[in-house]
Amino acid sequence: MKPAAPGLICFLLLCGCALLIAACTAYAAPAAGPTVRLHDLRPLPPTPPAKVVPLRVAVAAVISPRGNVESYTPLLDYLGRELNRPVEMVQRRTYMEVNDLLRDGEVDVAFVCTSAYIAGRRDFGMQLLAAPQVAGATVYYSNLIVPADSPARSMADLRGKVFAFTDPMSLSGRVYPTSLVHTLGAEPETFFSRIFFTYSHDNAVRAVADGLADGAGVDSLVYDFAVARDPSLTSKVKVIHRSPPFGIPPVVVGPDIRPQLRAQLYDLLIGLQDDPAGPAILATLGFDRFVPINDAAYETAQQVTSDTVIR
Amino acid sequence: MVSAVSLRVKILGMVLGLVLLLGTGVTLQVRATLTRTLLAQLQEESVSLGRDLAARATDPLLINDLYNIHQLLRETRANNPDVRYAFVLDRDGRVVAHTFGGGFPAGLVNANAVAADAHHHTLAIATEEGVVWDTAVPIFEGKAGTARVGLSEARMHGAIASVTRQLLLTTAIVSLIGIATAIFLTWLLTRPVRQLVAATEAVRRGDFSPRVGRWADDELGELADAFNTMTTDLARADAERLEREQMRAFYLRQIISAQEEERKRIARELHDETGQALASVMVGLRNVEESPSVEELHTRLVDLRGVASATLENVRRLALELRPSVLDDLGLAAALRRYAADYTARFRIPVETQIIGLDDCRLAPEVETALYRIIQEALTNIAKYANATQVSVLLERRDGQLMAIVEDNGCGFDVEQVLRAGAREDRLGLYGMRERAELIGGTLTIESQMGCGTTVYVRMSESANQRVSESANERMSESASERIGEWANGRMASERSPCLLVYLSTCLLVYLFPNPP
Repeated sequence: MKPAAPGLICFLLLCGCALLIAACTAYAAPAAGPTVRLHDLRPLPPTPPAKVVPLRVAVAAVISPRGNVESYTPLLDYLGRELNRPVEMVQRRTYMEVNDLLRDGEVDVAFVCTSAYIAGRRDFGMQLLAAPQVAGATVYYSNLIVPADSPARSMADLRGKVFAFTDPMSLSGRVYPTSLVHTLGAEPETFFSRIFFTYSHDNAVRAVADGLADGAGVDSLVYDFAVARDPSLTSKVKVIHRSPPFGIPPVVVGPDIRPQLRAQLYDLLIGLQDDPAGPAILATLGFDRFVPINDAAYETAQQVTSDTVIR
Repeated sequence: MVSAVSLRVKILGMVLGLVLLLGTGVTLQVRATLTRTLLAQLQEESVSLGRDLAARATDPLLINDLYNIHQLLRETRANNPDVRYAFVLDRDGRVVAHTFGGGFPAGLVNANAVAADAHHHTLAIATEEGVVWDTAVPIFEGKAGTARVGLSEARMHGAIASVTRQLLLTTAIVSLIGIATAIFLTWLLTRPVRQLVAATEAVRRGDFSPRVGRWADDELGELADAFNTMTTDLARADAERLEREQMRAFYLRQIISAQEEERKRIARELHDETGQALASVMVGLRNVEESPSVEELHTRLVDLRGVASATLENVRRLALELRPSVLDDLGLAAALRRYAADYTARFRIPVETQIIGLDDCRLAPEVETALYRIIQEALTNIAKYANATQVSVLLERRDGQLMAIVEDNGCGFDVEQVLRAGAREDRLGLYGMRERAELIGGTLTIESQMGCGTTVYVRMSESANQRVSESANERMSESASERIGEWANGRMASERSPCLLVYLSTCLLVYLFPNPP
């Protein structure tokens, strides 16, 4: 190239420079926003000891954890307000875990299932505090439900089908359906083609409604509450069998609770209906009110539990 | 200076410039679009992963299933390569589980926050690894805690860099192809041009033989054709010029020798005739001197006077042949009539002279001389060779054309042969006549057949006559100006317009259209 072509050389150089700039221009990071050094790892601060020991309330997974939070939060807020101390809600997957928390004093008070109470009373002296009253009674049933279009009319018709249990320890969700299978002279593992645990009653209703299971035994309180909240469920599931009445799932305390706290809690629960906020809290839970209760209410349940040996 | 750049560099520059420009444009555009799209995708992915994590962490968090949450976070990170970190905070903002091993980055928890009732909150966090898009999603409407997930831009930049590399590579390859194409194109385009340049050089050196090949039916092909036509014409013109030069050299020699011939003839004439006559006068004078008587003296003086008179006549004829003053004084028509009369008297051949349209006007002096000499030469030739008994001379001026015809009823001759012989024998004659005719812009034609007489035609147009004389041209233009002026004045007078503008316009019109309708 002759040196007398500065214009052309400049043009080519310009093109080359533009190309290089295009290639090297990094995407401009947004200026705003915090700066964090990801490799500057430090130990997490230990959980500071609570200045005030909260009241710890366990709620058994009769319904799903989410449902429990929605249902029990107003009640727990009420308790905290009245006791003037924070309340912590504790949930576990299984009834057994909740029983263990009560036994070890990890929680002060618990809403447990009937069979869990029976087991807890037997194992470590779990004590009744009160019981909810629903529709004027302190009983509930085990409903045997099937999909609305199912031809099954009794447990016998569910042979070879898929069955959903709730919790391994649940009276309405496992013990009573198992006793029904036993009366047919079979064991659930062989009677049904497949069984699975949903760990809560509302999930069992949903499993049947969605056709995941061909049948399930559910807590009548949960079932009625679910139907009341979502009436379209009646077009998806139907009840083909109802158990004899069992004592309603109670409010219990551990064996080591301070008597003063126990009395305070008792008074608060029994007097809830008279509190201005009470009716709304009870309505959220689907209860009429809390009533005193004694062990006699759980005799039928005790009977079924001891008759049904779950292998 | 553009002219200092060769065609090859120009084409190369154009091709390279275009390719580079296109490559740059495409690269910039693709980078911008890709960055925009991928960034939007990354943000969407961040939100969607955060939402998914929050939904799936709800139940484990509520039942305090830490292992499950930890597993969930690990899976989230393992299944999404863009995820730099993920962690879950409880209701109180404490870290429950995270994907960092053995510690947690300071300030990360507080870097992003989300309201309990918000859908999500995403922001860019600057880290030493680049920008991380952090999304915070409330778990179970904030009742359970907050899920946080951070997506790094590193992979995105990697993808963009890869695409950019590809584009640059493509540009480089296309540039190389462009260079090769440009070189080939240049060779293809300049091949005919180079040939043309070489041929032009040859023509400049005077070699008209090279012909340029026609490569394609395009502009260069037309140029090649035009060049070839030009060289052919140049070659012919050159040959004609050479021939004419030779002729002129020959004529020059002829003129010089003719001059010598003429001098010899004059010397001979003077010696043979005038000298003899003067010798006779000398003898006569001696006889007069020795005359025995007065009567005898008177007789001898009368004889002597006759001899002197004849001598005088001879001298006058000689002078007339050398340059007829009558041509200058009275014009062509009169000079021709005089010469014809002399010719008849001298050679005893009757000449019928017919002159039309020239009696009351003069032609340019060169034209008159040329025509006079041509006719004189023709008549001399007739007297010398033709054995003619009748000669006619016609000079006619009509419709701007001049025509001279000299016709005889002599023996005739082979024109071509005589012309060739004349050239070979270094003799001035027919060539001279033709040369004179061409000098005044006319043409000379000779028609002859053996035994059927000869006719010589000279034709010229008045315009050629005008071109010959510059003074004539000047007179013409002067008269035209006078005519225009008169015409313009006439119009002025007839229309009686005092307006200067009209006058100027008219003048302009008059100069543009000198012939008024």
